Amino acid sequence: MGRDTPLYNVRANRGGRILSSHVLCVPLLALATLAASGAAAQPQLDELRLIAPAAPGGGWDQTARVMQQVLQRTGIVTTPVVENVPGAAGTIGLARFVGAERGNGDVLLVSGLIMLGGIVTYDSPVTLADAVPIARLTGEYEALAVPAASPFRSLEDLLAAFREHPESISWGGGSVGGSDQILAGLIAAAVGVEPRRVNYIGYSGGGEALSAVLGGQVSVGVNGLAEFAAQVDGGTLRVLAVSSAERLPGVDAPTLRERGVDVEFENWRSILAPPGITADERARLAATVDAMVRTSEWRDMLARYRWLDRYLPGDEFAAFASAEERRVRVVLRDLGASAAPGEASTFDPYATFVLTGLALFGVAAAVVVRRERKGAVASGALAWRPLALIGAGAALHVLLADSLGFIVAAALLFWLAARAFDARHPGRDLAYALCVAVGSYALFDYALELPLPAGVLGAWL
Amino acid sequence: MGTFEGLSYGFASALTVNNLLWALLGTTLGTAIGVLPGIGPALTVAVLLPVTFGLDPVSAFIMFGGIYYGAMYGGSTTSILLNTPGETGAIATAIDGHQMALQGRGAAALTTAAVGSFVAGTLATLALALFAPALASVALEFGPAEYFALALLAFSAVAALLGASLVRGLFSLFLGLALGLVGIDQLTGQARFSFGIPQLLDGIDVVILVIGLFAVGETLHQAARPRRDEGGPVRLTSFMGMSREDWSRSWKAWLRGTAIGFPLGVLPMGGSVIPTFLSYFAEKRLSAHPEEFGHGAIEGVAGPEAANNASTAGVLVPLLTLGVPSSATAAILLAAFQQYGLQPGPLLFSTRPDLVWTLIASLFVGNVMLLVLNLPLVGIWARVMLLPRPLLFGGVLVLASLGVYTLNRSLLDVGLLYVVGALGLGMRVLDVPLVPAVLGLVLGPMAEQQFRRAIAISDGDLSVFVTRPISAALLASAALLLVGPMLLGRWRRQR
Repeated sequence: MGRDTPLYNVRANRGGRILSSHVLCVPLLALATLAASGAAAQPQLDELRLIAPAAPGGGWDQTARVMQQVLQRTGIVTTPVVENVPGAAGTIGLARFVGAERGNGDVLLVSGLIMLGGIVTYDSPVTLADAVPIARLTGEYEALAVPAASPFRSLEDLLAAFREHPESISWGGGSVGGSDQILAGLIAAAVGVEPRRVNYIGYSGGGEALSAVLGGQVSVGVNGLAEFAAQVDGGTLRVLAVSSAERLPGVDAPTLRERGVDVEFENWRSILAPPGITADERARLAATVDAMVRTSEWRDMLARYRWLDRYLPGDEFAAFASAEERRVRVVLRDLGASAAPGEASTFDPYATFVLTGLALFGVAAAVVVRRERKGAVASGALAWRPLALIGAGAALHVLLADSLGFIVAAALLFWLAARAFDARHPGRDLAYALCVAVGSYALFDYALELPLPAGVLGAWL
Repeated sequence: MGTFEGLSYGFASALTVNNLLWALLGTTLGTAIGVLPGIGPALTVAVLLPVTFGLDPVSAFIMFGGIYYGAMYGGSTTSILLNTPGETGAIATAIDGHQMALQGRGAAALTTAAVGSFVAGTLATLALALFAPALASVALEFGPAEYFALALLAFSAVAALLGASLVRGLFSLFLGLALGLVGIDQLTGQARFSFGIPQLLDGIDVVILVIGLFAVGETLHQAARPRRDEGGPVRLTSFMGMSREDWSRSWKAWLRGTAIGFPLGVLPMGGSVIPTFLSYFAEKRLSAHPEEFGHGAIEGVAGPEAANNASTAGVLVPLLTLGVPSSATAAILLAAFQQYGLQPGPLLFSTRPDLVWTLIASLFVGNVMLLVLNLPLVGIWARVMLLPRPLLFGGVLVLASLGVYTLNRSLLDVGLLYVVGALGLGMRVLDVPLVPAVLGLVLGPMAEQQFRRAIAISDGDLSVFVTRPISAALLASAALLLVGPMLLGRWRRQR
């Protein structure tokens, strides 16, 4: 077992984070610079939080967890921790990162092309440019694949049918606005079909999309090459084309460009630091990542996950990212996938049905209740005092959790709720409230590494 | 390697003292963390995976098996005791499980959940070992039309059981459907009813709705009820678990739950809501005591728990034979397998039979460990209900907040939890059933998306729903479920 796996690791010095980033960073940086000029020694970080702006299981989460593993095994970082902040193609994680993590020198956000898609699709006010670019890390080529029994033997077959009647070809891939749909749009534009006419079927998870392709539910699948690998090896799927510049070793398929489709494309992943950090902190984070990508452990992981090494640090990465953002914006606009706030909302039959039904049955239920209550004996009114107490506890809990911290907010909620049931033991209830609050904070924050707001007690925790 | 040869090889490599210890550790950790509300199986497995780094593949798989089944099982404990299901698979369990706990029969509920999980897990793992490749190819026949038909079937199961409270039930259902409208439209990427709040773009998490309606709503109701003499602490009727009658009522439910849960788990659709609720409805329909459902019927715990665990094993079928992860948990397992050079997919059973059969054998071992670990704990857990009510309900609220916060680390979600809690209080006071709202939230978006997906793929042709045989058969059974009882009643009257 790893010598300090997150489960057992109690962070020795959490309150010292502020301390470490200001006081300790100077000597550490000096050490790092020395090490870089020297040889084998590597920069050491005490703690590093890696935020994956997605739920466990996806590409960003995997990237964060692979980084965690490499950083920990090689000793570059003593306690790397992964946090998940899922939602809306990573834009929720990005917005929170830029806001709540401002000035924190010990945290990185995993990001990538799909986040650009999310920013454009959901018209996010925060963009990659609001964070500090550290490096692009990996890339994955995309592929077009069909089931072995598909009538499309080659890319030419598929494109001929696509040109003939674009809507008859359904393209199955990941979420709308993501890399798969972007590639489908680029291909359409390159072969002279209006991207708006691409019949793209978005699936929320990689597994769902893959089974739709395998089962022949869609005409062609667009996805990362690695997602198709096991099926291609097993002969159940046929790759029609890959999106790389040159033919790939071990993949028996032409490139798009080779067959006259002028598109080259890869889905890249990168890491960002929060805004407001000092130049020293930025240099230290960059040095940590630089040390990581040079390890043999990292290269092993790239091979295992079939990721391409696309390491591009600092300003060059920033220039690359803004060029990509322009490209994504154009493609998604042409596909008609990006948010158009000014556009008149179209008639939505399902929503109309649901809201009409709700109104109808709401009225009907009200009539039924009224009729029943009329004849019945008054069944005892609700007691309002306990409800007010719990309501106050809940409101204070939600409003104060960020500023006063979880412990205070949870203890308050517990105490007021307990008093709502029985007001005779304020002291006992308070003692239990504090025990439960401190205990659950310790369990989640220390043992499970799932951080809760520390608030005013932050300096002591 | 044939199936039996493979299994015996797998057991030979799994059954060493060392590996049994790893299995015990994995199950213990999986259960312990799975018990915490808001930490679903996916997060549990992700948090625990680093523990297995550095182990040899066989020991690591043994631990995976324990962690996976442990995490899936853990959710039922809080569901039964605190009415706080931490993940979707444990929602159905809460309905009758918590009522049993309130009546002092918490130990029996926990026991039937543990034994049911064991029975279902073992049978389903056996089915996995015997039929995996064949099942996977049937699962691939399910396209958008079939999923839409499946959603309609589930809707008609709900409607068929509303019975007397039809108007209230439909109101509740439409409330859930309306909540399901919130968020990004998966097919166009456009936001609906999210009112410019970014946290609402991904919709309202069903866990928030469930914990709000069930746990918070129940707490408010208990607090606001005019004082009656039944307000005293719960008296435990049994520390030892199930009575003879409990056993005889449970075992059929376990088997039926397995039969419903496993095939539905194999479908790459993800989610354990449909299998658990179909099992619940089947039990209610077939029971000799349908009036007890909602008031502590043991079949209402036994069936869904078995269905949940069986579908958990079913998820491994597409994962191992196709490399298709149909849930977040499966996606994490997939990544973990790849670390050990195991590439799930059509070739897996022929290229690495040693690892596959070891994994399958470890699942059996993990299941046994789960039972060994949890049965002795049942009596201890059941004593939670003896806490004085102020402390019990204070704890429920703190755990509910914590669980919801950990989902997305958003305080907005916690605020939403209490709004839903107030709604739950209102529904309880007016006798509006809660379950239809939960199913509306889960099934509504599924039905809408799959319907539109089917239409988009067929380029606007509505006939796909009846020309595809599986879809047509599912739609026919949905219709039968709605109209059947009426026709049957008329036929009986005529005789």
